[in-house]
Amino acid sequence: MMMRCHALLGTFVEISTDQDDSQAVNKAFAVVKEIQDLMGFHYPLSELSQINRWAHQVPLKIHPWTAQVLRIAQEVHKQTNGLFNCGIGHRMVSAGLLPRHIDLSKYQLGGIEDVHFLDSELITSSKPLCLDLGGIAKGFAVDKAVESLIADGIASGCVNAGGDLRVFGQSPRSIQIRNPNLPSQLIDIGSLQNGAIATSGLYFTNRDQQQSHIINPFAQDESEAHIHFSDSYSILANECVYADALTKVLALTSALDHPCLNHFSAQAIRISA
Amino acid sequence: MNGKPNPLAILGLAMLSTPIVAPAKIYVSAEQAQKILFPNKQLTKAPILITDDLQERMRVASSIRYPFQGDRIWKAADGSWLIIDEVVGKHEMITYAVGIAPNGSILGIEILEYVESYGYEIAEAHWRQQFAGKTIKDPIKLNQDIQNIGGATLSCKHLTDGVKRVLTLYDLTLKAK
Repeated sequence: MMMRCHALLGTFVEISTDQDDSQAVNKAFAVVKEIQDLMGFHYPLSELSQINRWAHQVPLKIHPWTAQVLRIAQEVHKQTNGLFNCGIGHRMVSAGLLPRHIDLSKYQLGGIEDVHFLDSELITSSKPLCLDLGGIAKGFAVDKAVESLIADGIASGCVNAGGDLRVFGQSPRSIQIRNPNLPSQLIDIGSLQNGAIATSGLYFTNRDQQQSHIINPFAQDESEAHIHFSDSYSILANECVYADALTKVLALTSALDHPCLNHFSAQAIRISA
Repeated sequence: MNGKPNPLAILGLAMLSTPIVAPAKIYVSAEQAQKILFPNKQLTKAPILITDDLQERMRVASSIRYPFQGDRIWKAADGSWLIIDEVVGKHEMITYAVGIAPNGSILGIEILEYVESYGYEIAEAHWRQQFAGKTIKDPIKLNQDIQNIGGATLSCKHLTDGVKRVLTLYDLTLKAK
């Protein structure tokens, strides 16, 4: 049994495995780092930053993983009738939550629906974009790390990216969710086997007096873009990428029975503050 | 996917059960961190005395006020270094190891311990003492009960500041040694 932790994706990524295999764990961390370097908004040279800069002008060849994330983002966008949209980077930039690489004020920005695939890894955009994959890439990285561990012969374990986690293999693991009223207190929700859970909550954001990072993609202006809430919303799903993306939809709607949950075989949990 | 908790049951649990407090998480020991970052190298302990001037320059570079301890530094014959440091934020304390290659680049960063919501415990010397490094005989045991915490994302910004100060230390003193 080993448990290790690296700072990646702006948070703490824990990998625990039943077997002691440093190499397999190192490789899984390297996978997460690669996703961070491809899809990080913070790095001006990341593939995401290149997409935001160029996709409306020239076709761009992108990494298969970035292509996969964009496709999943479009699928969730479609199934939620636009409630999930990664085209909200400019809102995060104006709130100071993400760095400003270019002046966005003079552009009419598009969303994830404006990304078009010319072939499986070649994209273009019909409008200038300011995509932020912060609401989905963490879950995707958890899934890819799990795949890497399984490919290296790890029978069971857990990957947890700052609270978005996936358990794989035969051993179930007990899961605790933070109490939104007092996040240092944990609520035991039972055990999970071969599944993922992701959570959206603003308790750390509120504690640190930051602007909310949950954005209403339909907002007409800045004043109505940031959504405030005090409950905690979790999604259980087979894969962490869907759990991660769908928590935003749940946080926006509070609808524990939103039809998209059924479509993605997901379940919702709300913990009231 | 197995394990389908009933949302109503969870709310019940929240009210009835005794709260579990987020624990100190201990991932690897100093020795394990050495093996992870320098799998085939022999390291020798090379503590240095941190002068007031050096302390001040590290503080300016990293904006970390908590003083750096110079007693957890190791060196390899080829000029690699391993430095263990901790960042103490308002809400958490993180002990981490930085491996530096002979050319000054970062080989890797490994987190040893993560303690959150320690605010009141930190004042007590004995609590503080248990994180001094070598007193923890069985790091995994402490994590046995609680391993998988779901919830809002914690920021790792403090750690970035910490790594900045370790690199400042390397630039100002270790590089020349």
